[in-house]
Amino acid sequence: MSAISATPQETMFTKVVRQLRGNLQTYTLVVAMIVIWGLFAALTGGSYVSAQNFSNLFRQMTITAIMSVGMVLVIVTGGIDLSVGKLAGYISVWAAFLQLRVWDSIFPGQALLAAILSSIAGIGIGTLFGVIQGYIIAYLRIPAFIVTLGSMWILNGLILVRTEGKTIAANQPYFSEIGQGYLPAWLGWIIAALIVAALFGLMFTSRRRKAKYGFTLPPIGMDLAKTIFFCLLVVGYVAYVNAYRGIQNPVLILAVLAIAVSYISDNTKFGRHAYAIGGNREAARLSGINIQSNIFKIFILMGFLCGVSGVVMASYVGYGTIAAGGGYELDAIAACFLGGTSTFGGEGTVFGAMVGALIMASLVNGLQIMNVPSAWQYVVKGIVLVIAVLLDVYMKRNR
Amino acid sequence: MSDDVILEFKNVTKKFAGVTALSDVSFSIRRGEIHGICGENGAGKSTLMKILSGVYPYGDYEGQVIYNGKELKLEEGSIRKAAEEGIAIVYQELTLVPFGTVGENIYLGKEPVELGIINWDKLYSETDALLAKYHMDVNAHTVVRHLGVGKMQMTEIAKALAENAKILILDEPTSALAESEIEQLMQILQGLKRHGVTCIYISHKLDEFFKITDSVTILRDGKTVLTSPTKKLNVESLVRHMVGREMKARFPEGNRKPGAVIFEVEDLHALDPNDTNTEIIKGVSFNLRKGEILGIAGLMGSGRTELVMTLFGEYGKINKGTIKLEGRDVKAGSASQAMRQGISLVPEDRKRHGLVLMQSILRNISMANLDRFASFLRINDAAELKESLELAKSLAIKTSNLHARADSLSGGNQQKVVISKWLMSRPKVLIMDDPTRGIDVGTKFEIYKIMNELAEQGIAIIMISSDLVEVLGMSDRVMVMHEDRSVCTLNIADANQEKIMALATGTAANSKPERSKS
Repeated sequence: MSAISATPQETMFTKVVRQLRGNLQTYTLVVAMIVIWGLFAALTGGSYVSAQNFSNLFRQMTITAIMSVGMVLVIVTGGIDLSVGKLAGYISVWAAFLQLRVWDSIFPGQALLAAILSSIAGIGIGTLFGVIQGYIIAYLRIPAFIVTLGSMWILNGLILVRTEGKTIAANQPYFSEIGQGYLPAWLGWIIAALIVAALFGLMFTSRRRKAKYGFTLPPIGMDLAKTIFFCLLVVGYVAYVNAYRGIQNPVLILAVLAIAVSYISDNTKFGRHAYAIGGNREAARLSGINIQSNIFKIFILMGFLCGVSGVVMASYVGYGTIAAGGGYELDAIAACFLGGTSTFGGEGTVFGAMVGALIMASLVNGLQIMNVPSAWQYVVKGIVLVIAVLLDVYMKRNR
Repeated sequence: MSDDVILEFKNVTKKFAGVTALSDVSFSIRRGEIHGICGENGAGKSTLMKILSGVYPYGDYEGQVIYNGKELKLEEGSIRKAAEEGIAIVYQELTLVPFGTVGENIYLGKEPVELGIINWDKLYSETDALLAKYHMDVNAHTVVRHLGVGKMQMTEIAKALAENAKILILDEPTSALAESEIEQLMQILQGLKRHGVTCIYISHKLDEFFKITDSVTILRDGKTVLTSPTKKLNVESLVRHMVGREMKARFPEGNRKPGAVIFEVEDLHALDPNDTNTEIIKGVSFNLRKGEILGIAGLMGSGRTELVMTLFGEYGKINKGTIKLEGRDVKAGSASQAMRQGISLVPEDRKRHGLVLMQSILRNISMANLDRFASFLRINDAAELKESLELAKSLAIKTSNLHARADSLSGGNQQKVVISKWLMSRPKVLIMDDPTRGIDVGTKFEIYKIMNELAEQGIAIIMISSDLVEVLGMSDRVMVMHEDRSVCTLNIADANQEKIMALATGTAANSKPERSKS
């Protein structure tokens, strides 16, 4: 793509091999996921890969996966956020409270307006919390681990205060659609068509830009093959979920967020600086990168994502409870590590974390279908996490 | 010294996938001598040392290593074993626990214990005895992070000796030391020799071989070129054997024409940012002309690095004095502020302060200057690649692919990446803190050429260096620092090593050195 000196002996084949090897880690994960699917499909006599279960499986991963989208960047900069589970839980409790107790008395019968207001309020609370937490971590320089651990306890207490120990129903019309609804099949196809068009559009604009700056373009066949492969994935996914009830609303929300943050992480100063800070803080500082403001922004983004996650949670579960979001932070963190994010910071992708989250969800879903007791589900989850990261470390060492 | 051989390499060959790092290497080292090993980066020095330390275990290479008359057979992962055999390595990067005392560090992993409890009295008395035996001027109770680099290295050597090292390998021991510390190290090595310890001495500073070693082995492209008593060699023949071609000069011909004064520092004082009662810069004045290279000489700890970091806005709190660039006051509050005003700094330690090693060369080059390519929602990656590529080409960074990780490059090429990064911000004043530290002769020459070209383009360069020959060879003027003050600035025609050393150590006979007029 950008050989500094032309290497004429590089054939199409060696080039493909080189690129494949570069992304080995991500492919390993995808392969691992397919192996898990195959295994459960065989063990459950095919019901695991039915359209219905496939649809559910993706839906189940959304709440923690939305947290993972931001967690990747937090970990990449060398931080951690232990408060995300309880923050999303707190927001879900607020959303439920607003739904049941507040909006209906102010705007009677306005279910759509109520759902919109609850969502805005939830996201607002999350963002505000992110601002406070980010300020303390970035500008007052208290380690993220300590601040977020404290926040976790604080939020746990606030959840009890808000719920007064009771369960609050959040199953009102419209609001339920956020986490439980599906898009009609025709709308699903329109979205699929738009994505396909966008993928081709991106491919051609990227080639045009490269040409404008005088770079030799990769063979069109390779770019086309790549683009067609992703188009097939998208079309295949839409076709399969349409065979059940359509694209799941929460999955759509997750996809939009994941793509947006993934793009930001690679194509904006904010994202690039985050990776530089995590890779070498001192070098980043001496390069004139404003570390404090970058970390501040990342925690705001994390708070925003917790807001979305909390609203989806309330809608998906249908009520706000005292246990809301408990332990989800660890699932979100585990998804990042499964997806190849380095514990030391500096490395990790949103895409990897999404695959990590999907692997976790696939595992839990499969074990549930097989009626494995929840105690053993934990055991399996733990073993898979450690083995997966072990494999990852081993592969990196032998690269 | 006898002809008794302690270590012999016999036809040692080590291949990595496709690359031969060592090919048929044979030479022997006599007991009790100081044996220098020299060669350019990539000549195979570190591979050889990794075989001796057990990083590449027995069977991983072809040929034999005979140690004390027996074949050395280190198993996989047996770095401890090498130490037990009496082979110890002092690495370029020091490996001490900064919060431990000297004694704790020396006996780390082999603390004298009784019933599982450490006998501290014994530990410290043995440490004292060891330090006294080799005339090392370090206090056993000092916490390591309070020591200077020179003393840290002494501690490291003492640590190796505490294991009863028969062979001590020193990998570029002087790269971080100032002249006076090097002198101390040389004395310690002479002391070791008297006690019968054999030393293998690896360095890029050629004059040191003539100061200290008894014989020298030269490696080139993984092969032994020559093993010879040092007496029979001189710098020219050494360089000729190393690079395999005639090198006429250590420094390239420059055609620098310094212009008008562009950068002025007047009576600068600055405080330690962590302790505002301590002054770390106690009065520095100098000026810098367009297209000029100003060398800053001084001992380690004379405030050189503190000064340039303060000029770059990243260290001291300025409490007095002025900095002016093109007649305007410079606000040195942070790196980004300094960059915006046209000041760049190539930091001293490229791995710690210059590079994000795990990221691509491209990302490292563009890291400090994304503003150039970024709009709110997008980085123009094609423009980024184009400009980085142009820089990489003009500095001749040796890589096939800018997407390769920075840590895949050799030290010299890594340094070029750091320089590229700072050139991208199009500085008016480029500060280079020890730009050729740990870089081989050939690449050093290239860096010097780059510096010349930049100066010819009108960039004003400030170069710190611990290597006086380099300072004299590359500078138009030399500013000497002593105890956090600028002592004086010499025109290069008036400067020589003796004069600079005298000024840097505060022992100048002429207490009022003539100031240069510029």
